[in-house]
Amino acid sequence: MNFDQLLQNVVGDTIGPGGSLWAFRPEMTLCATIIAVLLAKIILPGWKSSAYYITLAGLLAACFFAFPWSWQQGDMPAAKTIFTGMLIADSFTVVVRGLLLGFAVLFTTFTQMTGVWDRDDQAEFFVLMLGSLVGMCLMISANHILVVMLGVEMASVPCYVLAGMKRNQPVSSEAALKYAVFGAGAAGVMLFGLSLLAGVLGSAQLPTMTARLIQIIHQGVSPDQTLVLSLGGLMLMVGVAFKLSAVPFHFWAPDVFEGATAEVAAFISVASKAAALGLLVRLVAVFSMPSGLTFPEGISLPPDQLAAVADLGAVRQYIVAIVSLLAAVTCTFGNLAAYGQTNMKRLLAYSTIAHAGYMMMPVAAAAALVGSDVLGAREAVAALVIYIAIYLFMNLAAFAIVAFLRNATGSEEIADYAGLARRSPGLAVCMAIVMFSLVGLPPLAGFPAKMTVFLALIDAKLWALLFVGALNTLLSLFYYLRVVKVMVISPEPLHREAPTIPLTSMVGSYCALLTVPVVALFFLFGGVLYWARAAAHTLFN
Amino acid sequence: MFDVQTLLILIPVLPLAAALATAALGTRLLRGRSHVPVVTAIALSFVASILLVFQLQERIDERAAQPGSSRAAGVEEVVARWSWINVPDAMPHPVDGRAETPGWGNFNIEVSLRADPLTAVMLAMVTCISMLVAIYSIGYMRGDPGYWRFFAYVGLFVFSMTMLVSASNFLLLYVFWELVGLCSYLLIGFWYERPAAAAAGKKAFLVNRIGDVGFVLGIFLIWTTFGTLDFGGVFQSVGQHAGDWRVTAICLLLLLGACGKSAQFPLHVWLPDAMEGPTPVSALIHAATMVTAGVYMIARCTPLFAAAPDAQYAVALIGGITALLGAVIAITQTDLKRILAYSTISHLGYMFVALGTGTLLGITAGMFHLITHAFFKALLFLGAGSVMHAAGGVIDIRRLGGLRRRLPVTYWTFLAGCLSIVGVVPLAGFWSKDAILLSLHDRSGLFGGGLFEILYLTTLLGVVLIDFYMFRPLFLVFHGQEKIPPEAGDHLHESPGSMTAPLVVLAFGSVVVGAYFEWTHGFAHFLSFTPSFECLAQSGHAAIDTADKWRVATIGSVLTAIGIAAAAMLYLGSGKAVARLARAMNVFGLYSLSYGKFFFDPIYNVLVVWPLLSVARLAAWFDCMAIDSLVDRCGRIPKLAGAALRPAQNGLVQFYALAMVFGVLVLLGIMLM
Repeated sequence: MNFDQLLQNVVGDTIGPGGSLWAFRPEMTLCATIIAVLLAKIILPGWKSSAYYITLAGLLAACFFAFPWSWQQGDMPAAKTIFTGMLIADSFTVVVRGLLLGFAVLFTTFTQMTGVWDRDDQAEFFVLMLGSLVGMCLMISANHILVVMLGVEMASVPCYVLAGMKRNQPVSSEAALKYAVFGAGAAGVMLFGLSLLAGVLGSAQLPTMTARLIQIIHQGVSPDQTLVLSLGGLMLMVGVAFKLSAVPFHFWAPDVFEGATAEVAAFISVASKAAALGLLVRLVAVFSMPSGLTFPEGISLPPDQLAAVADLGAVRQYIVAIVSLLAAVTCTFGNLAAYGQTNMKRLLAYSTIAHAGYMMMPVAAAAALVGSDVLGAREAVAALVIYIAIYLFMNLAAFAIVAFLRNATGSEEIADYAGLARRSPGLAVCMAIVMFSLVGLPPLAGFPAKMTVFLALIDAKLWALLFVGALNTLLSLFYYLRVVKVMVISPEPLHREAPTIPLTSMVGSYCALLTVPVVALFFLFGGVLYWARAAAHTLFN
Repeated sequence: MFDVQTLLILIPVLPLAAALATAALGTRLLRGRSHVPVVTAIALSFVASILLVFQLQERIDERAAQPGSSRAAGVEEVVARWSWINVPDAMPHPVDGRAETPGWGNFNIEVSLRADPLTAVMLAMVTCISMLVAIYSIGYMRGDPGYWRFFAYVGLFVFSMTMLVSASNFLLLYVFWELVGLCSYLLIGFWYERPAAAAAGKKAFLVNRIGDVGFVLGIFLIWTTFGTLDFGGVFQSVGQHAGDWRVTAICLLLLLGACGKSAQFPLHVWLPDAMEGPTPVSALIHAATMVTAGVYMIARCTPLFAAAPDAQYAVALIGGITALLGAVIAITQTDLKRILAYSTISHLGYMFVALGTGTLLGITAGMFHLITHAFFKALLFLGAGSVMHAAGGVIDIRRLGGLRRRLPVTYWTFLAGCLSIVGVVPLAGFWSKDAILLSLHDRSGLFGGGLFEILYLTTLLGVVLIDFYMFRPLFLVFHGQEKIPPEAGDHLHESPGSMTAPLVVLAFGSVVVGAYFEWTHGFAHFLSFTPSFECLAQSGHAAIDTADKWRVATIGSVLTAIGIAAAAMLYLGSGKAVARLARAMNVFGLYSLSYGKFFFDPIYNVLVVWPLLSVARLAAWFDCMAIDSLVDRCGRIPKLAGAALRPAQNGLVQFYALAMVFGVLVLLGIMLM
C-alpha cells in the first residue's frame, strides 16, 4: 500500500458518500455555529440578540442532521466506526446526541428568557455552551482514549468558565476556581489511568485494548499486571466519576451549583451528566464484551468467541463492583446530604448527585448481564436512556423555575418560596409536579424511569443495589416534598410577598411547557421506550 | 332528526349541560335565575322522553302488525357510544373449564345506552316528575343562599338517573347507581350547616354502601359466571345456568343492592332521616325516582330472577316485611315528612312483593305501581312542603290544624293524593294496588302458594293500615280546630303559583293516570315488549278470571272504605278514642314499637356502629401512639445522618483534594480485596 493509496482510502473514508463526515454533520454544524456567533458579534454589533438567534438556528440545524430520518423506514444502520476508528457512529450515539441537542435547544431558549447575561456576555456564553456540547458529543461516541480525554476536557473546560461568568460576584469566581482545580486534578488522575492502561495493553484504541486484554487474560495474567490494570481502570473511573459528581468526587458540585447561576447549574446537572453517562456506557460496553468491530491494526479476537467472552468475566466483575459501589454510595450520600439544605440550588445539587447514583445503577446491571444475557444488558442501557430523557425535563424545569423565581425575588432560598401556591398557583403546581416526579411517584414520568432502572437491577439480580435504590427513593421523598410544603402550606412572610407569575405569561408558559412532558411521558411511555431500545440496539455486538 | 339514537343521547345530556352551566355561572351570572337552564333542560328532556315513548310505540305496533311474529320478541335499540374499557383476554377460562361461555375473556365495557319499553317508561316518569319538582323548587328554594347549588345538583341528579335507567350494562348501571347516591348525599346534606342534615347525609351514604357492596359483589359474580357484563349477553346465556347456585347468589347480592337503594328492610333506616333535605328533594329523589332504582334494577334483571326462584321468594318476603313494617311505623309518627317517608318504604315494599311473584302480571303491576306512586307520593311530599313553607318550617302534625281554609289549593291537592294513595276507585292508586293484589291472588294458587297467600293477606292488612296513616295527618293538619304555630307569624298564606301549579298537575296525574293506563291496556301491553320480560312471556299462563278480578277489586275497595270510615271516626272525633286505642295496642307493646320505629336505630347503634367505632378508635390510637412515633423516630435518622455528612462540605479545596485521594485509595483497597 503506497502513500497515495492510503491517502485515497482516508479521503474516501472521510468525505465519500456515507463517509465519516456525513455521520459527523451535527457536530460540524455546532462548530460552524460557534464561528457564526463570533463573527456576528464582530460584523453585526447592532443586532442585539444575534448570538441567541444564530445559536438557536444552529442547534435546530444540528437537530435536523442528528435526527435519524432513515429509521422511520425501519432501516437502522449497524454500528460502525468513523474517522479511522476514532469514533463510533451507532444508534446510541444518535439517540443520546439527539437528547443533548434537544436539551440545548430548550436550554438556549431558557437562558434567553431569564436574560441573565447582558448583551456583551451573551455571545461568549453561547460559544462556550456550544463548545462544551461538541465535547459531550465526542464523549458519547468515543472509541479511542485520546477522544475520551479530548471529549472530557472539551466538555469540562467551558463549564469552568461558565461557572465563573458572573464576573462581579466573588462566590461565582470562587466556585469556578474550585471547579477548575478539582477538574484539573481529576483530569490528571484520569490521564494517568489511561496511560497505565495503554501502556500495559499496548494500544490506544478501545476495542483493540479489549482484544489485548483478552489475550493477556487468556495467557494468564501476572499479579503486577493485575495491579496496574486495576489501578488504571480505577483512575479512568475517577475521571468519569468526577464528571458524574459521584461520591467521593462530588465535592465540587454543591459549591459550584450554589455559586454559578441557576442556568449554568442546569447545564452542568443535565447535559454534563448525560454525556458522562454516555461515556461510561461506552467504556463499560467496550471492556465488558469483545467487540465485533473490525480493527484497523489487523489484531483479531481469539477464534473462540465464547471463550473470549468468558475471559472478560473478571473484568466485568470489576466493573460491576466499582460502578455499583459508587452508585450506592453516591445515591445514599446525595439524598442524606440534601436533608436540611436551605438553598434551593444546593438542594438540587445534592439531588443531582443522588440521581447520578440512580443512573449508574443500570450501567452496573448492564455489565452484570452482558456476559450471559445480551438482550437484558441492552434493556438495562435502555433503562438508563429513559432515565436520562425524563431526567432532562424534570431537572431543566426545576432549574428554570428556580431561575425565574430568582429573577422575580432575587432569592434562591427555599424559605422565600412560602406563599407561592397562593400568588402563582400555576408555577407552584409545575414545581410540585417536578418534585413529585423527581421522587418517582406515579402518574408522573419519574415513576417509569425509576421503575425501568429497578427492573434492570432485578434482571441482573443486583439485590443489594436494588435495596439501596428503593430505600433512597423513600429518603428522597422527605426533602423534595418539603419544598412543596413550603410553597403550599407555610405562611407567607409578612415583609415580602411571593412573586406573582401567572402561567399565561411567557415565563409561566415556558415552565408549563417543560412540565407537560413530565406528566405526558408517563402516559406516552411507549414512545420513550421505543427510542431507548433503539439506542441500546447496537450496543454489545 | 328525532330518531331513537339522538333522543337517547339528548335526554341525559341536556340536564348535564344545564348542571355544568349552572355550576359554572351560578355564583356570578345567574344568581336568582339559576333555575332557568336546569328547568328548561329537564323540560326538553321530558319532551324527548315522550317522543321516545311514541317512537317505541310505533315499533311495537309494527311488530304486532306482522302476522308471523310471536309476541315474545322484545323491542330494543342499543346505542353504543364508545368503548370505555377493553381488555382482551382479561381472564383465563373459568375454574371448571367451561369454554363455551359466550364472550368469555374479553373485558369489554361499552358506554352503551338502550331504548326499550321499560327504559322509556322510567325515562318519561323521571323527567316528568323532575320537571314538576324543579318548577316547584323555584318558589320553594327562592332566597336560599345555595339557590344555584341546588339546581346544579338537581341537574346532575337528573342526568345520573336518566343514565341509570338507560345504561345497557351492569358496570355502567353501577356507575350511575353510585352517582345518584352521591347526588342524594349532596342534597340530603344541602343545608350542611345543620348538624342533623349533615348526619343524615352521612347515614344515607353509609347505609347505601352496605347495599352497594352487595351490588358490586353481584357484578363480580356475574362477570365470573357469564363472562360479560352486558345486559343482553347475560340475559341470553342465563338459560344455560338454570339451577346454578351462582345465579341464586347473584340475585341475592343484587337484591342486597336494591334493598340499600330502595330502603327495604333491613336497610331502610336511612330514608326517614333523609327527610332532613329540602322537601323538593324528598319528593324527587326519596319518593319518586332514586329510591325506585332498586325496583327498576330487579325488574331489569327479571331473567336472572326467573332462573332463581328462591331469590324471587326472598324479594317477595323482603317486600312483604318492609310493606307491613313501614305501614305500622307510619301510624304513630308525628313528623309529616317522616310519615310520608315510611309510607314510601311501605309502598316500595309492595313493588318488591309484586316483582317477587315472578309473573308478567306481577312485574307489570310493580312497574305500574311505581309510576302511579311517583305521581301521588311526589304530590303528597310537595303538599307537605307547601304546608311547611306556609307554617314557617313547622312539620309536626300535632302543632298544626284546620289549615284547610288558609291553604285551599294545598288542601285539595293533598286530599286528591291521599285518596289516590289509599286506593279509592277510580283514582290511580286503586288500579295499581288492585293490579298488585290481583297478581298475588293469581300467584297464591300456584307452587309456593303458601308464601303468596300470606303476602296477599298482608297486603290486604296494609290496605287498611294505609287509611289510618294517611288520613291521620290529613285530618289533623287540615281539619279540626285551627292551630297555627308561632313560627308562621301572622301571614300564613297559600304558596306562590310556581308551587301550586305543579301540585295541580300532579293531582291531575294522580287522579287519572291509573285509569287511563288500565282502560287502554296501553301500559301493560307496552311494557310487555321489554326484552327482559321475554322469558316470562314464554311461561305465561291463562288470562285472569273475570270473577277473580271483581272479587279482588271488591275486597280491596270495601277494606279501603272501612279503613277510611274508621280513621275518620278516630281522628275527626275527640282525641280520647285515639288515646284509648293506643293504650289498648300498648298491651302488646305494639304502640311503643311503632312509635320507636321498632328500635332499629338503637339496635344498629349497639350491634354495628358502636363496635365499629370502637375498633376505629383503637386503630386511630394505635396509629397515633405506636406507628406515628415509630415513623417519627425513623424520620430523624436520615436527618441526623445528613447533619453528620454536611460538615465534609466545608468549602476548602485542599480538603476536597485530600478526600479525593483518600477516596481513590479506599476504592483501590476495596477493589484489590
